Amino acid sequence: MSKKSVAFVLNIHLPYVRHLEYPRFLEEDWLFEAISESYLPMLRMLYKLRADKVAYKLTVSLSPPILCMLTDPALQNRFNSYLELHRELGEKELVRCRTEQPEFLEMAEYYLEQLKQNLTDFNDLYRCNILEGFKSLETSGHLELITTAATHAYLPLYKEYPTAINAQVELAVQSFLTTFGHVPKGFWLPECGYYPGLEETLKYHGITWFQVASQSMLLSPEKVNFGDYRPVRCPNGVAAFPRDYQATSLVWSNTSGYPCDRNYREFYRDIGYDLPMEYIGEYIHQPEVRVFTGFKYWAITGPTDQKQPYDRSLAQSKVAEHAKNFLYNLEMKGDVLSASMGEDPLYTLCFDAELFGHWWFEGVDWLDQVLRLSSREEEQVTLVTPSLFLATENDLQVVRPAFSSWGQGGYSSVWLDGSNAWIYRHIHKSIERMEELAVRFSDQISLKQRFLNQAAREVLLSMASDWPFILYNKTSSEYAQKRLTDHLRNFNVVYGNMCKNAVNTEWLVKAEKRDIIFPDIDYNIFNPQR
Amino acid sequence: MILINIDSLSTTELQYIAQQEGLENWQTLEREELIDELEETYGEQDDEITASWLKSKGGRKRFCNALTDFRGNKQDVNGLPGVEDLPDVYAETSIHLLMRDPVWAYAYWSLSPATKIQVFGEDEQLGGSLFLRVFSLDLLTYEEKTFDIAVGVEDTQWNINLPAMGNSYKVTLCYKNKKGLEMALAESSEVSSYPSYWVNHYEEMAMDSKLFNIHFSSLVTKEGEIVDNAVLQEIAQTLSGGVL
Repeated sequence: MSKKSVAFVLNIHLPYVRHLEYPRFLEEDWLFEAISESYLPMLRMLYKLRADKVAYKLTVSLSPPILCMLTDPALQNRFNSYLELHRELGEKELVRCRTEQPEFLEMAEYYLEQLKQNLTDFNDLYRCNILEGFKSLETSGHLELITTAATHAYLPLYKEYPTAINAQVELAVQSFLTTFGHVPKGFWLPECGYYPGLEETLKYHGITWFQVASQSMLLSPEKVNFGDYRPVRCPNGVAAFPRDYQATSLVWSNTSGYPCDRNYREFYRDIGYDLPMEYIGEYIHQPEVRVFTGFKYWAITGPTDQKQPYDRSLAQSKVAEHAKNFLYNLEMKGDVLSASMGEDPLYTLCFDAELFGHWWFEGVDWLDQVLRLSSREEEQVTLVTPSLFLATENDLQVVRPAFSSWGQGGYSSVWLDGSNAWIYRHIHKSIERMEELAVRFSDQISLKQRFLNQAAREVLLSMASDWPFILYNKTSSEYAQKRLTDHLRNFNVVYGNMCKNAVNTEWLVKAEKRDIIFPDIDYNIFNPQR
Repeated sequence: MILINIDSLSTTELQYIAQQEGLENWQTLEREELIDELEETYGEQDDEITASWLKSKGGRKRFCNALTDFRGNKQDVNGLPGVEDLPDVYAETSIHLLMRDPVWAYAYWSLSPATKIQVFGEDEQLGGSLFLRVFSLDLLTYEEKTFDIAVGVEDTQWNINLPAMGNSYKVTLCYKNKKGLEMALAESSEVSSYPSYWVNHYEEMAMDSKLFNIHFSSLVTKEGEIVDNAVLQEIAQTLSGGVL
């Protein structure tokens, strides 16, 4: 029987946020919400599938900032506090719902149960380090773990700086090797940002494949034979897996994707906003800044404020329906494609991992169903990882994808527009100066070495794609601007001091304490003469 | 600032956003009035992105753990000793060119004080003007063309329209004195834009429905919406006679 291959690739990344100087920091919640609502539920689901002998295959990219934050004892402690606080709110919600809103009681109980399970999993099963869960699933052959750029930089806008591109790849591979004990085969291109030639740096560091945006094949100056349904090999042998926009949109689209179903949970209605300050005050951000708490009781219903109470059993029946529909779509489409191509297609489906569970509450359950169904013998769809696919497919077309990204417009306009173009003057200058420092002060030891290492960290952190993305989308722009300028200004402290042959030790000690990312960094990585 | 699913938000949520935005009388406005006021506020504040969000009535964005952008972080987050503000420009003469898409590039530049004095004089008494000279090289025929863009002395950045794909481009920051003599001050590195194979081979795909299906079925949603990309949309329109 003809089998269509499906490669799910999930990207787990968040910007490096760590503000121990505050008892609680709003942007740290990005991480805590993701762990609580996506990563832990997803790991539970994947463990359960493994226990049920479901032979699934999934690829997960873990960015170096995520690796660092997930293994940071300080952030682990703060995540525990986050969970405890929300468990306390959950207990309070049970009491409130019993008397005031009994129609929400079932969901209040469910949320509380999930929070308790998260506490147990996090502390007892993973000993506060959930990377152990991913490691275990990789060891058992269910996951392929891969890396991405060191600080998730959008690489096409640094093409002029091969040293910086190399630093982003080399540090990512090092970071992965330190954590998982082997070199990754795959590399998630941040934002699917590709420019011709990038594969040379990837190959140098042992990478054998990466993913690209859907349009990168049709826009290639060379004729691509199988569109997005087969990977291609770049002339240097590294494989590029094009994302299937159509199949991805069945899930991803915010206007017509499965998550828009009226029976699913409404993300934007949260008791953090709906309940009086005297009740919710302790559980939101201080001083009295309303934020999402995760306690959401309404169904999407439609474009109206008159929402229906969320019915979990109804939503679960939709999950089953949507999982079947998804596979049906792939099978039907695959039949036509197989006839046209003369061989079976491969669908590469790339998602941000936080879509499942955090944004799309039922997303983890949907993924569970899809993985279960596709592992059945009678299904026409089979799950693969890109590395497994490459191991059996030697006859790939040699062709280069086109410059592209998965952002609006398909190129670089999200990360380079009126809201964020100003940053490149400063980041590029910092890279040039870092290169200059690495040449002028190569192989320093002791204090100067630490000073220069910190400068390299500041440059890399300023390169994160997250800051221009946030400035473009205006979601947390004040913070993004602050972080960007701080990293650049901090770099200038080192540059200014080193030009005077001095070290600002007070600054250094504080900066090292604040940013513990890349503890083994060697600033000589920025030396273009190496 | 963001505004998401405005019709779906509760009145309490809308009131909170209105309060954050500093709208007067937010406590007394009716729901529809709140929506109108907020839409007006966001419309005034900004721009096509907000407008498109409103239009789409939906958004799945990263880094959004609240309905509004918290503006309370005025405190010196990460403030460390010895840190100074970033300069507007750097004291060097250089120009950089970044490719935004095959049709637009972004150039930024700076002039060192020494260069400024050299070309404009101590008190800018020598006058003259600055311009960008864009060099385009056809990668097939190696035909070279140039065009100039006048810029002001205070300008430090420019979006440059790239006339054709299949060319490499670089840009030179130039000075012209009152007598018309020109001098190149800084030159960018090159960027290249390559045309899609299919731009020049429409007919191959137009004659072969299997080929069309292989290439386009992954790029169009089940509702018929094609990937947001101008080049792709042009190819699709040509091939489909405007159907896609």
